[in-house]
Amino acid sequence: MRYFAGIDIGSTAIKISIVDENKNLIGHKISASGSMFYKYAQETLSELLRELKIDESEVVYTVATGYGRKLFKEADENVSEITANAIGAQQSAKSYGEIKTIINIGGQDSKAISLDTEGNVVNFAMNDRCAAGTGKFLDVVAMNLEIGVDELSEYHFKSTGTPLSISSTCAVFAESEIIGLLGNNHSVEDIVSGVHYSIAKRIVKLVKRVGVKENVYFDGGPALNRGLVSAIENELGHKIFVPSYPQITTSYGAAVLACDAYVCNIESE
Amino acid sequence: MHTELTIETPHQRQNRHKAMEAISVLNALKEDFKSPIRSMGYFYDLFEKVYCRHEPLHEGKAKIGTMCIQIPSEIIYALEGIPIRLCNGFYTDDEIGSDLLPQKSCPLVKATVGWFASDNFSDKPDITFSPTTCDQKTKAGAIIGSFGHTVIDVGFPRTKESEESRHYWRESVKSFAVKLSKFQGKKLTKSNLESAIKKVGYAQSLYHKLTEFRKAKAVPILGVDMFLVTNAFFFDKIDEWIGAVEKLLAELEQRVNDGVNVAGKASPRIVYTGSPPIFPNYKIPLIIEESDAIIVADETCSSNRMFNDMVAVDEWNLYDMIDSVSDKYLKACTCPIFTQNDDRIRRIIQLVHTYKGDGVIYQAFAGCQVYEMEQRSVLAAMEREGIPILYIESDYSPSQHGQLTTRVEAFVESLKNRKRMKK
Repeated sequence: MRYFAGIDIGSTAIKISIVDENKNLIGHKISASGSMFYKYAQETLSELLRELKIDESEVVYTVATGYGRKLFKEADENVSEITANAIGAQQSAKSYGEIKTIINIGGQDSKAISLDTEGNVVNFAMNDRCAAGTGKFLDVVAMNLEIGVDELSEYHFKSTGTPLSISSTCAVFAESEIIGLLGNNHSVEDIVSGVHYSIAKRIVKLVKRVGVKENVYFDGGPALNRGLVSAIENELGHKIFVPSYPQITTSYGAAVLACDAYVCNIESE
Repeated sequence: MHTELTIETPHQRQNRHKAMEAISVLNALKEDFKSPIRSMGYFYDLFEKVYCRHEPLHEGKAKIGTMCIQIPSEIIYALEGIPIRLCNGFYTDDEIGSDLLPQKSCPLVKATVGWFASDNFSDKPDITFSPTTCDQKTKAGAIIGSFGHTVIDVGFPRTKESEESRHYWRESVKSFAVKLSKFQGKKLTKSNLESAIKKVGYAQSLYHKLTEFRKAKAVPILGVDMFLVTNAFFFDKIDEWIGAVEKLLAELEQRVNDGVNVAGKASPRIVYTGSPPIFPNYKIPLIIEESDAIIVADETCSSNRMFNDMVAVDEWNLYDMIDSVSDKYLKACTCPIFTQNDDRIRRIIQLVHTYKGDGVIYQAFAGCQVYEMEQRSVLAAMEREGIPILYIESDYSPSQHGQLTTRVEAFVESLKNRKRMKK
C-alpha cells in the first residue's frame, strides 16, 4: 500500500496527516512545536507511523507546509499554508457542500481565504504581524483569568451580561485592558465573551476584505472553542462549518497535495 | 598583560550596522540565485564600496542632494554638480529617524531624516533641493534644515492636468536653476544643458534596452538585480554607470542567445508597484523572487518611473529646453501624490500587457498614506481587467518575514494554478 504524508509545522503545533491513495485520512497526530521544529516533526512522524503500523518506505511522497516547512528537509515539496488549507478544507467538508470561504485562526496569525467554484484560491487576507485575534491571544487571556484555554467556551456561554468591549488591537495592550476590567469587578464570564466578540469582529473584517460567500468553513485550533464559533457566527450573520478535527485541515490538505503530485508525476513519466 | 579594548564611536557603530544590512542583501543577490551575471559584479562592488567600506565616490565635487525624482538631474549636470538622491532604504537610519518623527511616519522618510541626523555619509551633499511632493517629504526637508543643512524647497503642484500647474512647475524649475547656478557660480547655457539632456537621455535609453530583455519568455535578469542597477543611478558617477550598463547589455544579449532563463519555466511573471524598493530594503522583491516568481517590470520611483519617460525637446533653445525638462518631471510622473492619477493605473495595466505579467504585487510602506490610499482604486481597476493583484503593507524592519513569505508564496501558487488551468 502507498501512503502520503502532509506535515504542517505551525508556530504552536506540528500537525501530521497520512492519507491513502484514495485520499482517505488514515491517521493524524498533533504535537507541540516547541523550540526544535525539525526534530519534533521527525519524531511525531515516526510515532504516528508506528501507531498506524505503516513502514516508512510505504510513505512515497511528503509535502510540508506551515511556518517551519522549509526546515523539514525530507519533504518532496513544500507549499504555503494558504494553498494547503484550501485543499484540506474542501476535502474534509465534502459531505457538507461546496466551501467558498475559509476562516483559519492559527497560533500566530489569522487568515481569510476565498475560493472559486473549482476550489482555487482567488483571494486571501492575513492579519498584520501582531498576534491579536489569534490562538496566542486566547492563551494570554486564559492565563490572565487563571482558567484553562479549553474552559473558555464554557465561560462564554455562562455570560449573562453584555459582552465587554476589548478594543485593543494588540495582545499585550489587551492584557492590560483585561486587568483593568478585572479591577473594575467585571465577571470572568463577561470578559471571556467580550474577548471572543473582539476576535470575531476582527476576523469578520478580514473576511469582508475577501468577500463572504457561503459556505463558510472555520478551522485551526481556536475553532475547537464553541464560544468563539458562536461569536463569529453572530458577527458574520452566517452559519459556519467546523470540521471534527479543525487543527489538522492544513496538514490534511498537504497530504492530499502529496497524493496528487505523486500521481501526476507517475502519469507524466 | 591585557589588550586595550576600544569601544566604537556612535558613527562607527552605525556604519557597522549599515554595513551588516548591506552585505546581507548583497550576499543574497550574489549567492541565492542560479546563473549569476558577471557584469553585475560592478554594481555589487559599488554598493559594497559605498555602504560597507564607506568610500567616497565624488571627492572634491559639488554634491547636490535631491529628494524624490522631480529635481532635474539634467540641470545639475549642466551646472557641473553631482546629483545625489537621498531617498534612503536603511533600517539603521529608519531607527535613528524614529526619534525625530512621529512613529507612524513612512520608513523611507524616517530613514532619510535619520541619515542626516547621524551625519554619516560617504558623500555628503553640499546643498539639498526638496520638491514639495508628499507632506512627509516636505516636512522632512524642514527637519533636515534644522540640523544646519541647507535645504531649499522647490514648489511642486499636486495636480498635473491643469495649465496653471504646468506654468507653476516651470517657474519652480527656472527658480531652482537660478539658485543652483548661483550656488555653483556657473552659468546655465544652451550648450551645457543640451549635452546634459543628451547624456541623461542616453542613460535612459540604456535602461530601456535592459527592459526589452525582460519582455522575452526566458528572462535573463532578475528583478532584484534591476533594482540594484537603477538604485546605483541615485549616486554613481554617470559615465561609469553608463559603461557598466553597456557591459551588462552585452552580456544579457549573449545570455538571450544562449537561452538563459533566471526563472523557472512555470515561474509567474510579476509587475511590481507601490512604495519604492531602495537598497538595501529589497525585502519584498527578494521574497518574490525566492518564491519562484520573477519581477519582469515595475512601476516605482526607484526604477521604471525614474527612467520611463524622456525629455522631449522641440527646439534646442535654452528656455525651450528648460520647459521640456520641467514637463518631463511633471506630466510623465505617476506618483500617487497627484490627485486624478489615472495615469498610474493605465501604466500598470500597460506594463502587465507589454511584459506579459501574470499578476501584480503592490507594496505600500506602513505610514505612506498616498500609496495606502491609492491601493483601493488600483485594486478595483485590476479586478476589472481580470489581473490578479496582491496588496502588502511592509516597512524596513527585518521582522515580519514569515507572514510576508506566506502571503507571497500563496499568491505565487495561485498564479501558477491559474496558468495551469489556462493550459
